[in-house]
Amino acid sequence: MPVATLPPPKRALADSTKAHRNVNPTIPSPNTAKRRKIEVGSSPSKRLKLSQNSLKNGSSQPKSQFEEEYLEKLTQDISGLKQQNSEKDQQWDRPNLHDFDEERDSLCFQQIEAEEGTLHGGRTTVKLFGVTETGHSVLLHVTDFLHYLYVAAPVNFVKTDIDGFKAYLETQLAQHQPVIHSVQMSMRENLFGFQGNQKSPYLKITVTDPKYINKLRTTIEGGNMNYKQMWKGVDGGILTFDSIQYVLRFMIDTGVTGMSWVEAPQSKYHMIPHRDRHSNCQIEAYVHYRDLTAHHNEGEWAKMAPLRILSFDIECAGRKGVFPEANQDPVIQIANVVTRYGEPKPFVRNVFCLDTCSLIVNTQIFEFGAEDKMLMAWRDFLEQVDPDVIIGYNIANFDFPYLLDRAKHLKCTKFPYWTRLKSIQSHAKETNFSSKQMGNRDTKATNTNGRLQLDLLQLIQRDHQLRSYTLNSVCSHFLGEQKEDVHHTMITELFNGTPESRRRLAVYCLKDAFLPQRLMDKLMCLVNYTEMARVTGVPFNFLLARGQQVKFISQLFRKALEQNLVIPNLRSDASDEQYEGATVIEPTRGYYDVPIATLDFASLYPSIIQAHNLCYTTLLNKASVEKLNLVKDEDYIVTPNGDMFCTSKIRKGLLTQILEELLGARKRAKKELAVETDSFKKAVLNGRQLALKISANSVYGITGATVGKLPCLAIASSTTSYGRQMIEKTKEEVEKRYTIANGYSHDAQVIYGDTDSVMVKFGPKDLEKAMDLGRDAATYVSDKFIKPIKLEFEKVYFPYLLINKKRYAGLYWTTPEKFDKMDSKGIETVRRDNCRLVQNVIETILHKILIDQDVQGAQDYVKDTISDLLQNKIDMSKLVITKALSKSDYANKQAHVELADRMKKRDAGSAPTLGDRVAYVIVKGAGGAKNYERSEDPIFVLENNIPIDTKYYLDNQLAKPLGRIFDPILGEKKAGQLLTGEHTRSISVAAPTLGGLMKFAKKTQTCMGCKKPLVGKEEMAGAVCSNCRPRTGELYTKTLTKVSELEIRFGRLWTQCQRCQGSLHNEVICSSKDCPIFYMRMKAKKDVEDAGKELTRFDFDAGAAW
Amino acid sequence: MSMKIIECFFYRREKPYRAVVLEARLEQANLLKKVVDAIKDLVQDCNFDCNDSGVALQAMDNSHVALVSMMLKAESFSPFRCDRNIALGINLTSLMKVLRCAQNEDILTLKAEDAPDVVNLVFESSESDRLSEYDIKLMDIDQEHLGIPETEYAATITMPSAEFQKICRDLIALSESVAIEATKDGVKFSCSGDIGNGAVTLRSHTNVEKPDQNVEIALSEPVALTFSLKYLVNFCKASGLSGTVKLCLSNEVPLLVEYGLASNSYLRFYLAPKIGDEE
Repeated sequence: MPVATLPPPKRALADSTKAHRNVNPTIPSPNTAKRRKIEVGSSPSKRLKLSQNSLKNGSSQPKSQFEEEYLEKLTQDISGLKQQNSEKDQQWDRPNLHDFDEERDSLCFQQIEAEEGTLHGGRTTVKLFGVTETGHSVLLHVTDFLHYLYVAAPVNFVKTDIDGFKAYLETQLAQHQPVIHSVQMSMRENLFGFQGNQKSPYLKITVTDPKYINKLRTTIEGGNMNYKQMWKGVDGGILTFDSIQYVLRFMIDTGVTGMSWVEAPQSKYHMIPHRDRHSNCQIEAYVHYRDLTAHHNEGEWAKMAPLRILSFDIECAGRKGVFPEANQDPVIQIANVVTRYGEPKPFVRNVFCLDTCSLIVNTQIFEFGAEDKMLMAWRDFLEQVDPDVIIGYNIANFDFPYLLDRAKHLKCTKFPYWTRLKSIQSHAKETNFSSKQMGNRDTKATNTNGRLQLDLLQLIQRDHQLRSYTLNSVCSHFLGEQKEDVHHTMITELFNGTPESRRRLAVYCLKDAFLPQRLMDKLMCLVNYTEMARVTGVPFNFLLARGQQVKFISQLFRKALEQNLVIPNLRSDASDEQYEGATVIEPTRGYYDVPIATLDFASLYPSIIQAHNLCYTTLLNKASVEKLNLVKDEDYIVTPNGDMFCTSKIRKGLLTQILEELLGARKRAKKELAVETDSFKKAVLNGRQLALKISANSVYGITGATVGKLPCLAIASSTTSYGRQMIEKTKEEVEKRYTIANGYSHDAQVIYGDTDSVMVKFGPKDLEKAMDLGRDAATYVSDKFIKPIKLEFEKVYFPYLLINKKRYAGLYWTTPEKFDKMDSKGIETVRRDNCRLVQNVIETILHKILIDQDVQGAQDYVKDTISDLLQNKIDMSKLVITKALSKSDYANKQAHVELADRMKKRDAGSAPTLGDRVAYVIVKGAGGAKNYERSEDPIFVLENNIPIDTKYYLDNQLAKPLGRIFDPILGEKKAGQLLTGEHTRSISVAAPTLGGLMKFAKKTQTCMGCKKPLVGKEEMAGAVCSNCRPRTGELYTKTLTKVSELEIRFGRLWTQCQRCQGSLHNEVICSSKDCPIFYMRMKAKKDVEDAGKELTRFDFDAGAAW
Repeated sequence: MSMKIIECFFYRREKPYRAVVLEARLEQANLLKKVVDAIKDLVQDCNFDCNDSGVALQAMDNSHVALVSMMLKAESFSPFRCDRNIALGINLTSLMKVLRCAQNEDILTLKAEDAPDVVNLVFESSESDRLSEYDIKLMDIDQEHLGIPETEYAATITMPSAEFQKICRDLIALSESVAIEATKDGVKFSCSGDIGNGAVTLRSHTNVEKPDQNVEIALSEPVALTFSLKYLVNFCKASGLSGTVKLCLSNEVPLLVEYGLASNSYLRFYLAPKIGDEE
């Protein structure tokens, strides 16, 4: 072999996740001459082999995709913006007030937040913040609304007792000021339990100030209010009614819902002179509560005010290995994007930077020498631009508290005023939020009175189940695009570099500020949450900060008010009483290649509640049945659960009415949606119908929540018991009617049923026929039930793979022409606690089995994958398992917890902390080592070449899900062969660079041809043994091809990452642990290095020298 | 059994002819059985490297603390023929299953073709004329070849293998690790655990009648090292192979435990010392 076959020149590989090379000046490119010219003080880095010619005097930064796509396009849009936008570009101020005349105009605005406050020296008011249609900010003080509660009046209580009772209350409360405003007697009805449609006298006690209400309530309930011992038969406390917060009480009584429009007619409101103003809103006024008009959220008033939305992101310069701490690490950049609601482009885009920073197109850069100056300037910006909504990613737990702590450290005493109230500082408070829906969460809450906050992270965590919640993966999930994930230690390096590197950071930061805005638009959170607030009537803030109950409570109170019902303040005793849930018909497991029709009950629980008139107000007990002389089945019914409710003939339940309204409103909204053409109105309507649906479905849940405000297990368990009965009945009816005996071609069989649906195998192979039968069965069975319960035929699964309860997959057909999608439930594709490999394999084989109907192909695919796995050919990113580190002390040792501990010992800085998701792979360990001892950080594994326990992945990850899928198709025996066949006989064992013996062991090279260890002096450094020498040429070519293939692969991955970061000239600095490409890239880099080493062996080969 | 042989016969004949390049006849199947038994807990899959000098095996355990090195020299077989270098990748669990089928006194013949798919094992019983034949499917094991360089050890202790086994088994009841201290007075195995501590000291000792029971200590400088008992107990499974065992120690170098076999064949174990408070 001639000398020409010497290995190609060494290629330098650079991967800079750790290196600090990336602060290198960026490669000059000539195409951005219009930007600011900067001095070429920087020399291009050595490893870049790009032509030196491009180093012209006007060096500038290469453009990233983000800049090109968003910022530069804006240039073209600017002219349009100038004409169409109601806001001037980069103009911070709100439109001025000269077109507003308090004499002439009524004050009409969309209120966004309501809070308790005082005016004129102590009078309690409700502060309504909002925005007018013309975009002016408003603070309206609503005065004179007083809080109250009810108690049942004793039998012998007469009107003349009122004054005495009032005085008695005052003395019992013993406050310095008068507490009781008035005591009135009125006729009301208790919500809980059927009262025979009779109202009884109640005492409405009104207090002078809402702060006394709790004192009053506890005193009454504590039993210290038994005036003249009139309340008989109560040992201690007296039950009070209508326990609700002041602000909510106000909203309910005035008919104001969250985010609704309110109007104060002209001359009824009074402007507050500037010197007395509480806020920095443009209009501040006060009005008596009776003069306030609340507009119903229909028609014209469904619109949205032009809210200003600020999206921002901060960057901090952390130290190596430590998460930024506010008392040490400076805030170096704050990027802001302000958008007016309803407009596609933001009108303010700027970055506040510490130190110098090169220009970014269409973006204002503010450079500051000192950090405190920057922070203050940002605060002034915040006040001037006066956003109504502040959004961001993880702002609640990071950005807000960090800015506050940092300002405190820098002694910027004037900094923490972000609220609309001049005198109120913003504080970050620790809060703990726990609900059944989301578990325990420790969060921080910062007050920005008058401005709404939407933390997209919290929102997405609440509404979506994802593998990972980093901004990067969330964006790739919803927006279909990636962003680079710069590790926080990298930020410091970029910051310490040049104006150019700081510019790069600024672009990154700006993009992080842009993305929440885009996510919000995409997910339509603002609209959907607004509609939820309107439908349920609670303030916007409550939706995020509070649980499910408050929404329902608000609706219930509104409805109860209409009907003069009072709601008892039941003390919730957290009982663990459980009731039976929904039923599941035992599945007949198997693979069905005939169409399976699915019959669903449309909104099952709401319709049961409606059909059987289940409600608090209709609940009966034995005593009341006897007292009122009710007739069974005529006047009342007994549920399968044994509870009694009166029929709608006697009294229509409140829940029934609420549900009717909700579902009716939803129908209307859907109808309007169908004819609406305007996309914004469409979004509103869609948001509304969703909110209505969710509200309707949550009614049942509230009655079953034992720790709630109004638990009523009788309703909840009756609902589920009816549900169970109905499922059973449906099965019975279907199997009774569709039989060969009745003239049908097959006997129908219900193969599975769950909560609100049954799966029926009618028999015919023909899709159309199955659909007809399904439709027929739905109407037939629906007739057997009370209205509005309705069984609907929705879809056919064909083919259908029923694995177990709540685990199935199938092709989903709604029309006989084409299937809609592949549907799978409870199969590993959606679960997060396994590795991507399982997900990929399952998805692919389901695709092959269901869509291609190619079972053999699926088996082959599984075999190939297993074979690759055993030979270490599977990419490690697919083997990474992530789990959230949710608490530090688990009862059992768990892999991710143990790993986090070990990583902490290695390097405390980069180790995952509580709440992080820990990524790990399982590596080979000593015989008998537990799984948790064998978990390892993927990066560490890559760096040290630790062998992965492929057996674990085969046996513990793949085996079960594969078995579940293939068992019903192939039978257990054949399915088992998938895991042990011929394809499992080729394996690869990696030699790590770590471990007790590795310090001593010496690697013996083996012959590339026959794997024989090369021990002879001659052969030792070479590539092949003497026997294989004739094959040298062949082997060399093989190795060379391998190297170039790997190089190409690495090159591709590198470019992919550059694309993602948006610049093909900059080095990749991303280290996102959620990105499969990241691990692939790291692996590829290592592979190339290793293969290169292999190749150099030929240099020393004795045989190749001839 | 005869049925099986015929089956195998047909099976083999149908396949395209390939030259048999390895043929190794071992007088006692028991030897291989004991060897595999001793290492199968440390190594699951590994390559048997066969060349004209014999059959060699070298592999690390999964946690990379111990290394097994086996060498069956050509002289241990009769006859031994290996025309080409071949690596037989075998799953030791499967091999053990097959070897269990052999009687201790059976004669074992290993056979493999060029570029083999299977390795063929034939057991001949010298008493009865039974001939059993098994094929094991081979695996393609891509494994890096690692070796421990030969060193001059500061201390070499030769002792009865049963004695060593007893010491290890006794001490593991107390602790996970043992300190081996070799001085000119003797060699001391000591350990301390939660329930207490223990030590066994051996001195040079010559038994004229039974040279097997000799304890010899060759020492150039004192050595003290700590090792994991779990592994040592594992190594002791090889005690049946040889009456004596040789322990070689040097400071900061892995311990070598060698069981010598007939005609210079050997089974060696290397174990990394425990350093500091490492677990």
